[in-house]
Amino acid sequence: MRYSHAILFIWLVGACINGISEELPRGPNGNPDLNGVWQVLNTANYDLEAHPARAAMQLVEGPVVPIPHPDILALGAVGSVPAGLSAVVDGEIPYSKKALKIREENKNNWLDRDPEIKCYLPGVPRATYMPYPFQIFQSESAFFIAYEYAGATRNIYLEDPGEPPVDSWMGQSWGYWEEDVFVVETKGFNGQTWLDRSGNFHSDQLKVTEKYILLNNHTMQYEAILEDTEVFTRPWKIQMMLYKRIGKDAELQQFKCVEFVEELVYGKWRAKD
Amino acid sequence: MENGEPKINSMKLLLIIFLSLPLVLLAEDYEVPKTWFGDPDLQGTWTNASLTTLERPDEYKTLIVSDRDALIAKRMTKQFVDAQDNYLEPGETPKAGADVGGYNTAWMDFGTELFKIDGKYRSSIITYPEDGKLPRRWIGWGKEAIAIARMFRQADHPELRSLGERCIVGFGSSGGPPMLNVLYNNNYQIVQSPGYVMIMVEMNHDARIIRLDSEYNPDNMRRWLGDSIGYWEGNTLVVKTKNHHPQQKFRAAIRHQILITEEATITERFTRVGNNEILYQFEVNDDEAYKDIWKGEMPLRASDEKIYEYACHEGNYAMANILAGARAEEEN
Repeated sequence: MRYSHAILFIWLVGACINGISEELPRGPNGNPDLNGVWQVLNTANYDLEAHPARAAMQLVEGPVVPIPHPDILALGAVGSVPAGLSAVVDGEIPYSKKALKIREENKNNWLDRDPEIKCYLPGVPRATYMPYPFQIFQSESAFFIAYEYAGATRNIYLEDPGEPPVDSWMGQSWGYWEEDVFVVETKGFNGQTWLDRSGNFHSDQLKVTEKYILLNNHTMQYEAILEDTEVFTRPWKIQMMLYKRIGKDAELQQFKCVEFVEELVYGKWRAKD
Repeated sequence: MENGEPKINSMKLLLIIFLSLPLVLLAEDYEVPKTWFGDPDLQGTWTNASLTTLERPDEYKTLIVSDRDALIAKRMTKQFVDAQDNYLEPGETPKAGADVGGYNTAWMDFGTELFKIDGKYRSSIITYPEDGKLPRRWIGWGKEAIAIARMFRQADHPELRSLGERCIVGFGSSGGPPMLNVLYNNNYQIVQSPGYVMIMVEMNHDARIIRLDSEYNPDNMRRWLGDSIGYWEGNTLVVKTKNHHPQQKFRAAIRHQILITEEATITERFTRVGNNEILYQFEVNDDEAYKDIWKGEMPLRASDEKIYEYACHEGNYAMANILAGARAEEEN
C-alpha cells in the first residue's frame, strides 16, 4: 500500500512539473527561451542584506542621529536609501572576521571606494541586480548578456573554456543546461568589483554559480552561489526574481556613464581658466 | 602596375581558371545557414583586420591590386613589424630625451595582407568614388578643423581628447557605422535573437543592438554608434543608422579619419557568402561633410580567437597622466 502511494506521489509530482514545463516558452534546442530584457525590482544593489531605509549611502556622526556625508547632503531625499529585505538566503553574508572589518570600512568610505561611483564594470553577480535592465541574446550557438549599466557585456561560453587566461572585471563565464535550468559558472575575477553599495565585497578567488530558472513568460528566478575562501567562511546564496520588460520598455537604452564621471575622476587636473 | 604584372602563359591561365571554378560555384551555391527562428545566420566571431585601409594609398592607382603588389605589401609590412620589434638591441635602453615609443607590435593586430573580395586583392575599402578617396566637403570639415587639431595635442580638458582615449567608444570608427578596421582589436561577435542582431564590438565592449523591423527612437536621443534599425532583404541584413551622437562626429584613428555629422544616414549590408566570410558593404550619405555619397566593402572573416574583456576606462591611467603632466609642466 505504501509502495503504491509512493508511485502515485511521484507520478503526480512529475505530472505537475511536466505541466509547468510545457507552459514555458521554448527557444533554441528546445531549452526555455530566456531572450528578452530583464530587470530586478528590489533594492539589492543598495544592500544585499536586510536594511531599513536610511538617510544616505554614507553617513557621518550627527548631533543627535547620523546625518548624510557632506558630499551627498545636497541630494536630500534623492540620495537616501530605500528599505529592503535580504536577498541572502540565510539572511547574512558569512564573512570571516577580518573580511567583515573590511566590509565596514568599505561602507564608511563608500564615496571613495564603490566602483559603481566611478562607472567601473560591475562584475558578477552585481550586474544582474543593478537598477538597470539587461538583455539576453540566446541562440543555439551563443548566450550573450548586454547590460545597460556602463555598456557592460558578458559572453557566456557554451563549452567549457578551461581556466581563465587572465583576470577581468566581468570574469569568464561558462554556461550549460541542467534540465530547464541555465547554470553559469564564472571565475577569473580581478577582485576589484563589489557586490552592492554597502561595501559588500569579494576577492579575486570568487567563483559564482548562477541559476536562471524561467518560471513563465514574464518572470525568472535568479540564484547565485558565491564561493570565496579568502573572504567568506562558507559558500552562500542569493535569490531574487527577474521581471521581463514588455512593450516600449523592452528596449535596452544606453547608460555609458564614463563621460558622466570625467569631472569626478579627472576634474582636479583641468586647466585653470 | 601594367609593366609589373607577372607573365602567365595560356596553359597556366587555364589551370588557374580550372582550379578556381569549384570555388566560384561553391560561393554561388552556398546555402546560408538559418537560426533557430529562421533568419539567415550571421553568428560567430569575425575580424576585419587587414592591411587594406579605408582610403586608397597613393601608390595604388586601381581598386584591384595585382598578386605581386599584394605580396610586396605583405613583405614590407613584415619588415616594418620586425623593425619595430627590434627597435632596441637586447640590453639597450632608449637614449635620454629620445622617444620611448608606444606599443610594440605584440599589441597590434592590423593583419598581414590586403583583403580579397571575389578572389582579388583590394587597395581600399572605399569602392565609390572610384579614386578610393573620401569626397570631403572641405567647408564641412573646416568647421571641425580646430577641434581635430586640438584632439591629440591639447591637455586642458578630458572632453577635448579623442573618444578612444576617453574610453567612451573605440578608436576611429571601429564600432561604426561604418565599422572600419583599426590598429588592433578588430574583432566582432554577432549573436542573433528573434527581432535583434547584436554586434559586440571588441573595442570598447560596445553591444550594437540592431532592432529589426522596428522604429527609430526620437531624434533627441542620440546614441553612441547611432540608432540602427535593420531588415532582411533575402539573405542580406540591411541596417540603416541615423541620429548619430554629436560627440562622435570626428572619428580618428591612425588608419582612417572620417567625419560623420549628426544628420548622416548610413546603410550597411551584411551578406554571408561562406561559412567563414561575411561580405560587409556600406554607403555613407552625409551632405554636410561630403560632396557625394561614398561606399565601401570588406570581408568579415571568421575567427577562432576568443575576445577578451576590453576594460579601458577602469585602467585609463593615460588620461590622468596627460592632464596631470600638462599641469605640472605649466607650474614649471
